[in-house]
Amino acid sequence: MTVLKVNGRPVEISDRGDRTLADALRNDLGLIGTRVSCAEGECGSCTILVDGQPSTSCLMLAQQAEGKEITTIEGLADGDNLHPIQQAFVEEQGFQCGFCTPGLIISAKAFLAENPNPTADEVAVGMSGNICRCGAYPYIVKAVLRGAEKIRAVALAAE
Amino acid sequence: MLAEHGPDAMIWAGGTDMTLHWQREKVSPTVCVDIRDVSQLDFIEVGNDAIRIGAMTALATLERAAGRHHILKMLSDITKLMCTPQTRTLATVGGNMCNASPAADLSPAFVALDATAVIFGRNGTREVTAYDFFVGVNRTAVAQDEILQEVTIPLPSDGEIHGSYRRIDRTVVDIALVNGSAAVTVGIDGVISKVGLGLGAVAPIILNAPDASAALEGTSLADVTRDKLAEVAAIAARHAKPITDVRASAGYRQDMVEVMLRRALEDAITNHGGKLR
Repeated sequence: MTVLKVNGRPVEISDRGDRTLADALRNDLGLIGTRVSCAEGECGSCTILVDGQPSTSCLMLAQQAEGKEITTIEGLADGDNLHPIQQAFVEEQGFQCGFCTPGLIISAKAFLAENPNPTADEVAVGMSGNICRCGAYPYIVKAVLRGAEKIRAVALAAE
Repeated sequence: MLAEHGPDAMIWAGGTDMTLHWQREKVSPTVCVDIRDVSQLDFIEVGNDAIRIGAMTALATLERAAGRHHILKMLSDITKLMCTPQTRTLATVGGNMCNASPAADLSPAFVALDATAVIFGRNGTREVTAYDFFVGVNRTAVAQDEILQEVTIPLPSDGEIHGSYRRIDRTVVDIALVNGSAAVTVGIDGVISKVGLGLGAVAPIILNAPDASAALEGTSLADVTRDKLAEVAAIAARHAKPITDVRASAGYRQDMVEVMLRRALEDAITNHGGKLR
């Protein structure tokens, strides 16, 4: 078995070398919040964090994740408390069907870690690796901006 | 490992191209040699005489290196056109080179910048120019038992080099329909000493154009006109042998590669502070 560290916990997947990380997360671990749509690295639905960096898990072999810190959408909330970005997506209705939303929220987390106070244009470029087929983009941009506000507020409160 | 397992063993770098080749059954390796975490190949070094980029440098790392040198700024701007932010963290400079797509974005710039590919094998390292590195579609000068170690971009000792890359696409995620890159070195005497050109997506390999380069070399920066650059681009475009495919027609590519080269040359001259008339 290969041991991965997913959402802070060590988990085991099979040693098969012929699978993508997205498949292993979904099929071995049941973490179906990571979605696979295009399976070509274009749509961003399968975005996860690998050592904090946003990565298309459909283009990674599962074995390449050994020894890395993997964060999926399931690892964001703190118990029943949604992550500020998740809360912001709910409040701004930053989705319609919701299929692409986990990938968008993970991308937003990585983007806001690098740019905590972005403009709407910067959000649009930062989120350009995620496609929303419902076309909810204006609401997604608002949700990311509100998520940024919430994270800054939390950081201020902690000071 | 590569020598031991023969042609069934394939190097897996970022894997962003290889995963697709494998899923589409263009390759069927029995052994994947994962070099993703070989940290000795993950570096960007700016020296007085050259910039060295390790093969395992992620596109996202190159993107963030813009502030370290104006040539890295040029390459950083190119990475922003490539795939998506979450794929750029996986994809590597060396992988992009070794995939050897005729429409690759970094490759024409490396050819124009007269970069050298350093290839590592059992008998040590050897060097080939970026132009000679590409042998055909998805084929390079790297042998089965060798790996690409780094790309070295020479910097002039007696002047300055500026470059530019231009391409035609529909959206950001797109592959270039056609592209062109130019790098111009101007000596301390104000005379253009070296011109490099790279033409992409108009042949199985990235093309250069020594005759077009020669037509501009020896000219004073102050004497360069828009007409002169248009003439140079036209000479270079004669090398193109484009095909018609799903992305663009041969005729469109033939016309546009000239425009891309002209604009890239204009950018390079402007970056030198040249006033185009």
